[in-house]
Amino acid sequence: MKLILSSSNIMQAGRQSVIRQPVTQKSNVELINSLRSNFLASQQIETALANGTDTNGKSAASHPPSWTLQTEDGLYIPAIDFSQPGLSEERDQYDITVKLFYLPGIPVSRRCAHTREAIDLVLKELHVKSIDLLIVSFPGILFDADDDSDEEDNEMSNGEPDDFDSMVQTWQVLESLHDQGVIAQLGVAEFGSERLARFLPHTKVKPSVDQINLKDCCVVPKHLILYAKQEQIQLLTHNDCHDILPVGTTRELLGPTEKSGAGILASSSEANDGIQGDVEPQWVVKYTAVVKDRGVVENKGYFASADVGTCVKDRS
Amino acid sequence: MGLLALGTALEWPEAKTKAGQVRQWGIEQLLANWRRARGKERDALLWGDEVEYLVVALDDAAKKSRLSLAQAEILKSLARDEELWKSGSGKGSETGDHEGEDPPHFHPEFGRFMLEATPGQPWGIGFKDLLKVESNMKWRREVAKAHMAPNEVPITLTTFPRLGTKDDYIQPYYPPSGPALRSQFVPDEIANPHIRFPTLAANIRSRRGRKVELNVPVFHDTNTPRPFKDPTVNYDLYNWPEDDDVRNGAAKDDHVYMDAMAFGMGSCCLQITFQAKNMTEGRRLYDQLSPLGPILLALTAATPIYKGFLVDTDVRWNQIGNAVDDRTREELGEAPIKNDRWRIPKSRYASNSTYISQDPRLRKEYFDPDLVVDEDIKKRLMEGGMDDLLATHFAHLFIRDPLVIFSEDLEELDLNKSDHFENLQSTNWQHMRFKPPPPDKDDIGWRVEFRSMEIQITDFENAAFSIFIVLVTRAILSFDLNFYIPIQRTTENMETAHARNAVLDRKFWFRKDPFPRRVPRSAQQSTNGSTFSSTASSAVNTPPPSPPLGPVEMEFDLMTIDDIVNGCADGSFPGLIPLVESYLNSVNVDVETRCFLASYLDLIRKRADGTLWTGARWMREFVAKHPNYKQDSVVSEEITYDLVKAVEEMTVKEGKKGSVGWELLRGKTV
Repeated sequence: MKLILSSSNIMQAGRQSVIRQPVTQKSNVELINSLRSNFLASQQIETALANGTDTNGKSAASHPPSWTLQTEDGLYIPAIDFSQPGLSEERDQYDITVKLFYLPGIPVSRRCAHTREAIDLVLKELHVKSIDLLIVSFPGILFDADDDSDEEDNEMSNGEPDDFDSMVQTWQVLESLHDQGVIAQLGVAEFGSERLARFLPHTKVKPSVDQINLKDCCVVPKHLILYAKQEQIQLLTHNDCHDILPVGTTRELLGPTEKSGAGILASSSEANDGIQGDVEPQWVVKYTAVVKDRGVVENKGYFASADVGTCVKDRS
Repeated sequence: MGLLALGTALEWPEAKTKAGQVRQWGIEQLLANWRRARGKERDALLWGDEVEYLVVALDDAAKKSRLSLAQAEILKSLARDEELWKSGSGKGSETGDHEGEDPPHFHPEFGRFMLEATPGQPWGIGFKDLLKVESNMKWRREVAKAHMAPNEVPITLTTFPRLGTKDDYIQPYYPPSGPALRSQFVPDEIANPHIRFPTLAANIRSRRGRKVELNVPVFHDTNTPRPFKDPTVNYDLYNWPEDDDVRNGAAKDDHVYMDAMAFGMGSCCLQITFQAKNMTEGRRLYDQLSPLGPILLALTAATPIYKGFLVDTDVRWNQIGNAVDDRTREELGEAPIKNDRWRIPKSRYASNSTYISQDPRLRKEYFDPDLVVDEDIKKRLMEGGMDDLLATHFAHLFIRDPLVIFSEDLEELDLNKSDHFENLQSTNWQHMRFKPPPPDKDDIGWRVEFRSMEIQITDFENAAFSIFIVLVTRAILSFDLNFYIPIQRTTENMETAHARNAVLDRKFWFRKDPFPRRVPRSAQQSTNGSTFSSTASSAVNTPPPSPPLGPVEMEFDLMTIDDIVNGCADGSFPGLIPLVESYLNSVNVDVETRCFLASYLDLIRKRADGTLWTGARWMREFVAKHPNYKQDSVVSEEITYDLVKAVEEMTVKEGKKGSVGWELLRGKTV
């Protein structure tokens, strides 16, 4: 069974994304907090409505909860009404950036479908036909400003290296979306100069952005700066966490309400208070719509997808 | 300062009789312009900074520094170059670093020893633009210096430490006590000779019925006499009737006494103006930035010396307020109301007193209960279609009299101009200013000016504070932040910001929770309409259904500047810097820009937590450590010369590698 988690527009609930923390600390706090608070808000509305109509208040205990929505795409947590307007002004006023996180341990073979799913959700949410920039984050790649030589060590230490061929394969999917006019520009995250140099010859549509996370903003390897300049690749910054949605965190998020979860998953293998089985996060997508010449972030949010049940797809 | 029209300026007795006409015409011009411009939409964010300089002449042989009254010559020389540049024969930049940037503009200011410089074109929000700000400020300084005498330098101290002393602190020297200022400390020649300025000064004095009065508490050091009686005050002067002021107790014990507009309007400030996308957004920014005024004033504190004495305050603000205070004794509440219309609690130069945004979060408890409003003017504006809030704002500004009236302008009312409106608007020097688009320029939108900051010694700091405020406005709009507190608390904070070392030692009223309440998705449709739609429709007054609000007093608390800037330890207020960081994490910023921004935010973070000093603190320490200082509060000519030299060095080396001023710029490690 597929679950589609969403945060709705987190700019209207900014508390979740503003955390007093050292500037450069990578974080998935924004994602987790915004999902949690969106679940909570939806539950509260539901409870308020139920209290108005149903005196025994039992309706909230149904499964899946009534604030979610089962469709043929999967279970929306919470339910989304895509008929709500997405952006307040015309499309050309915005820069829409989407960052897609492929998660560790998920077979590359699923990426084509995942990419399409994630992009479609964003297009539907914002009521637009295209996005300006898609940045993809491959699992297992860590940029280290102090050591730009190669990142293979990091990949190995992660256990499941995202091999070069699979990146190239994935990129072809993105190129086709680019050709269809759905995505204007493509970007990668955490690529050092050597990886870029190896990667570029295999691309028809070159990445125009390389997004890197910097511990100390002012230490960027010189050869990366020079190479990026030469290849006309813009170096952008981000502070996203590398492993943005671990399995354990997903379990907590969706687990029993007593443990401040959303009450989607069963509390134990015997209980019938939720969905049984393993949970496996598939991908996370972040979207941001910025009013171009005013620098105002009007809409920002996340979708995440997870498979759950006794028949979670085989990893082979 | 606005454009300088020429004409026959009326002296006060006559100007007073025309005040009603100017106000009336000003209101008609405002209404015409408001009708024309209220639907202006989708203006881009453009913004500009204004940097003001003191021109100081150094006499290395005598170890003396003096203010140079060379404004006119310098401006003339600058204008010649600008003409050359426009005709294509001049160079945009001598170094070639400013390709594509228009040469900066220079403007006269009140003091004849001052210059104001603005960028050649306004800045946008493109992050590449933000990178140009500091280098453009440096360029401005270079250009200004290139048009000065070899021994003259433009420095960005708020005030010249020895303005108004007994010695020859100006060059060329003129004796004090002229007909316009009637000051016993400064000559009329201290002011820009353009008829507007002496008339402004003379009419303020004349309207007030005596000289302006600035009493700044002296800083009591170990050898400072108690009580301190300002030794520079001359009680035996009989040139003008106003010379009686000091004999009637104008100079107070334990205070440094000053008596002329030049002591206030001769101060340098750092002012930022933003263009909003429409009137609605402009009104929102005006309200939301207002509570930040006193915070940024304390954070930029740089004014610990007046007339050769260390004083017990750190900022310039109230001194300017007193230097242009044209209120009569009746208006001040010192005499019963007989001839005047009302008591007025604040000077024309003061913290602002109105909120103007049609924002459902604006509670009536936030308004100033003592607000003085000209009800006839408000009525006229509302008859003309203006809403209550905005009509109240302008009817409040229009309680003042116009100070400089040119008789030529009273012949015919031109509704396509804004001169009469601006006459009142631009002599209401509040810490926020809401500016309608100029009627003759289609490409300029509604603007908001943030006016409280003190000028900083280096361009690095000035760029940092300018850009910080720009980023704060973007965070306000993106997160839909709510900084509302009762406006009287902001007035109170403005006073608090004056205290010596207020930045670390004092607490300020600030809102605890700046975030919007989460609106259920089903209700979002209606609020989207009000937040983003342009037309000032009545829909904005219909808030979405929400739980009842708690008592206003629960919404705000006393916080340190560190709490406000860096966030409260208990997690209540998130902090302006984390808000800005969070905004930056939501937009695409390139690596180089982020590095620059990081160094700016770092400066502000560390000023707030005390790691770095304010300019005021640094100057106090500089004086205290000077071998010539005798722990008697006196800042001698020699100390001032050395201070100016140090400041000049600091503008170049910027405290790098332990050079002078590292305590306020970089800290020890870099």
